[in-house]
Amino acid sequence: MAIDMKKKFALDKERLLLGVAGPVIALVTAVVLTSVVLLASGKSPVEPYSIMFTQATYSDVQVLIINQAGMYYLAALAVAIGFRMNLFNIGVDGQYRLAAVVAAIVGAKVALPGILQIPLLILVAMLTGAMWAGIAGLLKVTRGVSEVVATIMLNSIASSLIGYLYLPSVFGVQVGNNKTTGTMHKSGWFPGINMGEAGEIYGFVVIAALLGVAYWFVLNRTRFGFDLRATGASESAAAASGVDAKRMLLTAMLVSGALAGLAGLPLLLGDTHTYSLTFPTTIGFQGITIALLGRNSPVGIAFAALLISWLEKASAALDLQGYDKEIAVIMQGIITIAVVVSYEAVRVWGQRRQQRRVGIELAIAAGENTSELKKEVAA
Amino acid sequence: MRRVSRIALAGTATVALAASLSACGGTSSDAASKSSGGKDKGLAISFDVGGRGDQSFNDAAYEGLVKAQKTFGYKTTSQEPTDGETDADKTARLVALAKQGYNPVIGIGYSYAPAISAAAKKFPKTTFGIVDDSQDQAKNIADLVFSEQESSYLAGVAAAEATKTKTVGFVGGVDVPLIHKFQAGFLQGVHDTDPKVKVLSQYLTQTAQEGGFASPDKGKTAAEAQIEKGADVVYHAAGLSGQGVIQAAAAKKVWAIGVDSDQYKQKALAKYKDYILTSATKNVSQAVFNLAKSVHDGKPESGIIRGDLKSGGVGLADSNPKFSGNDAIQKAVKAAEADIISGKIQVNSK
Amino acid sequence: MHALVGENGAGKSTLMKILYGMQKPDEGTIAVDGEQVTYSSPADAIARGIGMVHQHFMLADNLTVLENVVLGSEKLYGIGGKARRKIAEISERYHLNVRPDALVEDLGVADRQRVEILKVLYRGARTLILDEPTAVLVPQEVDALFDNLRELKAEGLSVIFISHKLGEVLSVADEITVIRRGTTVGTAVPAETTPRQLAELMVGSELPTPETAESTVTDRPVLTVEGLRLDAEGGRPLLDDISFTIHAGEVLGLAGVEGNGQTELIDALIGLKHADSGTIALEGDEITDWGTRKRRESGIGYIPEDRHRHGLLLESPLWENRILGHVTEKPNARGVLIDIKAAQADTRRIVEEYDVRTPGIDVTAASLSGGNQQKLIVGREMSHHPRFLIAAHPTRGVDVGAQAQIWDQIREARREGLAVLLISADLDELIGLSDTLRVIYRGKLVADADPATITPEELGSAMTGASAGHLEHEEEGGDSVPAARKPQPEDES
Repeated sequence: MAIDMKKKFALDKERLLLGVAGPVIALVTAVVLTSVVLLASGKSPVEPYSIMFTQATYSDVQVLIINQAGMYYLAALAVAIGFRMNLFNIGVDGQYRLAAVVAAIVGAKVALPGILQIPLLILVAMLTGAMWAGIAGLLKVTRGVSEVVATIMLNSIASSLIGYLYLPSVFGVQVGNNKTTGTMHKSGWFPGINMGEAGEIYGFVVIAALLGVAYWFVLNRTRFGFDLRATGASESAAAASGVDAKRMLLTAMLVSGALAGLAGLPLLLGDTHTYSLTFPTTIGFQGITIALLGRNSPVGIAFAALLISWLEKASAALDLQGYDKEIAVIMQGIITIAVVVSYEAVRVWGQRRQQRRVGIELAIAAGENTSELKKEVAA
Repeated sequence: MRRVSRIALAGTATVALAASLSACGGTSSDAASKSSGGKDKGLAISFDVGGRGDQSFNDAAYEGLVKAQKTFGYKTTSQEPTDGETDADKTARLVALAKQGYNPVIGIGYSYAPAISAAAKKFPKTTFGIVDDSQDQAKNIADLVFSEQESSYLAGVAAAEATKTKTVGFVGGVDVPLIHKFQAGFLQGVHDTDPKVKVLSQYLTQTAQEGGFASPDKGKTAAEAQIEKGADVVYHAAGLSGQGVIQAAAAKKVWAIGVDSDQYKQKALAKYKDYILTSATKNVSQAVFNLAKSVHDGKPESGIIRGDLKSGGVGLADSNPKFSGNDAIQKAVKAAEADIISGKIQVNSK
Repeated sequence: MHALVGENGAGKSTLMKILYGMQKPDEGTIAVDGEQVTYSSPADAIARGIGMVHQHFMLADNLTVLENVVLGSEKLYGIGGKARRKIAEISERYHLNVRPDALVEDLGVADRQRVEILKVLYRGARTLILDEPTAVLVPQEVDALFDNLRELKAEGLSVIFISHKLGEVLSVADEITVIRRGTTVGTAVPAETTPRQLAELMVGSELPTPETAESTVTDRPVLTVEGLRLDAEGGRPLLDDISFTIHAGEVLGLAGVEGNGQTELIDALIGLKHADSGTIALEGDEITDWGTRKRRESGIGYIPEDRHRHGLLLESPLWENRILGHVTEKPNARGVLIDIKAAQADTRRIVEEYDVRTPGIDVTAASLSGGNQQKLIVGREMSHHPRFLIAAHPTRGVDVGAQAQIWDQIREARREGLAVLLISADLDELIGLSDTLRVIYRGKLVADADPATITPEELGSAMTGASAGHLEHEEEGGDSVPAARKPQPEDES
């Protein structure tokens, strides 16, 4: 029994090691290569990092990082749930923007008490995101259209649709040179966590964290989650196990879209209270990077979201100190590529290593029971 | 037990980090003000998406910055935005600049409106400027706005006079209110001059993120389509994308009308300059410099500073001899200009 | 002609991959014609005159033989008349009987194999490696193949051939190398060796035989299939008017050369494909329209023919693999939640009871050997007490010890009233384990036979379509054992 526990512990430790090895290799590679770029351009290869680390100690920058990470986290969860079954939802970007517009319009037109208004807005955003992603899902299920192509197209269509929705003649309100959807009723504003001088943390960040827990629970503890992961691990085996591939695909797409629909809400409900031309875009695309970096695990994604947000927010200070803040962009790019490569390498290496270990352990076991004749474990 | 701890880890990672990290450390601007705050600092500008190199108003603003630096001999800085940043990020940037002692701090583009308001409240002694927006008229904010419709009206007059096919084109970079002003003025100018002239209009993209202001290829395709349909004068209000419009016009040997700066004189377009009839200029560089000068002189500008035909903030360039030498066009344009300045002609801005 | 024998998983394929440059050795050397070589890819091996005929053919179905042969080596003889002449010449010299203009999709398995051999020769191979060339052939075709191989040998070429069928090896090889668990355990000369000696060398223990002692067939039909038809996209029938009944306690063996509709039949029974016409009934419930999950929940067990594709999540731990296929059933589920503790405990039980050799249930399925993976699958399926079991090649790639064990488990479940559809390429297994035999050929059930009297050769001839109807053992009939009950096409139901 004691030996059993030890073995189990060793396996757990190994899994942890393998889990961490990928991102660490990617990060180290990114830092090294970025330093090379800095050296090549005749600048200090160290100071930018120290500037960026110093930035992370400032409370106002921390607030910015956390707020941004909250949005990234939701977008990355949406991407990750697709990834878990080999679905590539590139459309998170269009889904969250469209969902934010629709929520903003509903928030401006409908005035219920806060206890109803906020859930209504959340529901509206989720439904909008799910519907938009569902179109791609339906196309894939019925016509076999690749979800990659469909979601990219839907991103463009979403932009046009948004352009239409906030026309002054439709739902829009022009403020100066900016197009907006009008200010939302106060009851739909999501209360934030006041950090004094440092600013305010969006309250919705807490919801993002809770959704992370829900994501973990659904994937690892429910039948649905098992089927979804099985489909991702082996479509053929999942089908043979009784998963209805089409239904699973559509469901996953809808869930992914619903999560994506929430990605814009921290900002919308917590700060701008209107959707305008200046509403941030590309959160969905960053979500893809973050989901990759975080290995689709809720904890990994949280760290990845914080890391990417830190790179973005802390790099702003580089400009003032005479460095180009594009350093952070270079790092992000390298991390993304390095992550893909290192994960695959670590995976293959880990699998070989485990096979070898299983072989050795069984050989030892066989050696102990020499009386037993039947044995066979080949690597 | 293990299960519980894993849930806890998964769930509280973000919140815990949020709370714990935020609890420590001062703000970045506290630190900044400690480390600096010299009197040698002057103008700072913060660019709009696209940043430097857009051959358009970001570049024009930078020109004003360089001029201010040379004239007043103080330290200046210009900051680039990141893609997908929020108002909070913009505010943080402006605050950091103000805290470091820069004055004035100018946000280029209407997207800075909420950020300028927020920053101006925190630093009442610093003068803030914003280009293309006039929502907040606080005492320490200068709203540098332009009557683009007026110069566009003149461009419309010139186009209507120059066209032989009775068809002219308008290419807008992004379908936003700011660009609608260019279109509205141009349309009115054309029609007031010759109601029979048809105007073809197209916007390149719905949002700036899709590259409407930064894609010469898109501009080229759009202009080619309009020329195909018979347009022989094409006016663009499309930033960098306008280069494609001018290229297409030169290739088909029809007129192009430039925007923002005098594009006839731009080095990047020297090859095509013979086909650049004129440009509807918007003197961002002067406006930026003027604000810097007023602060330097101790009499900071405040409220709405409008650049129009009267003040020379907008206008029609006449570097192309074929334009300045064409009497018919010149006569019509001069007459229209006088009427606008006198108020006889009211130009629509929508 | 050199034969390489060993059980599945002994390392034969790995060795061949190294010889052909698909894998790199960690240690040791390879010499070709006395010259030591190292390859970095199969291209290097081809350049050295080594050619490989894979177990799974690598031919493009919708191209002609000529096109398939020329594909990838257009530089050798072009793609026109010269290539055609060369193919004709090779075909002539080794009596391969290949028609250059036939479409590959129209060819039978044996013909395809000859095309593969020709392809290798066309590329100038002097040493041919054949990986389990007889696995997909019926006995008559095996003889023809051996004739071809002898021709090659007579022309001065070398042949290395991999097999675990001892009879064949003894009849055709000049020298035999036996490997076990990755090392050479002996060499033998056929003239001085008996199959039994060879087998003992191979496995270190005695060969078990798949024999079913007494019949347990009842007259209660469990699975009734009637008029089942499944069309390919173009309308060509993959399954045509399939009807059979399997009773409680009966093992129905389905013989057939691979690719004659077995896969489609399995898919139709488990619900991966839906019949175009006909019905499937499970003990009175018509299940034709049911999805896979409902079928499995209602008691259909499934040992897939390709366990990696259909039976396992290779990169998931064993206990998750134990849940696979039974995620809605006890002990894996509690309502809509997964009961991880119970599933893990039950995985430990399966590992114990079914003798799955593993250091723990947290290792991935990929790290187990084929035999242990199969034992896990069998254990998993049996744990849910199926009423009807689809057993497709249940012992393929499984070592001898595990083979016997799996046979025992099938026999035991049959005794308790399980109905089994057994599909296997191993005719001994089919004959030994089945109560009833059917032959599938081009999507139709063309013949039936009594496993008590039939010989592999007779069965083989029906598998090629040479004979149909009820097969009687020809020379005699004296000592026949009580025959299994024939399925009645239509009884109550």
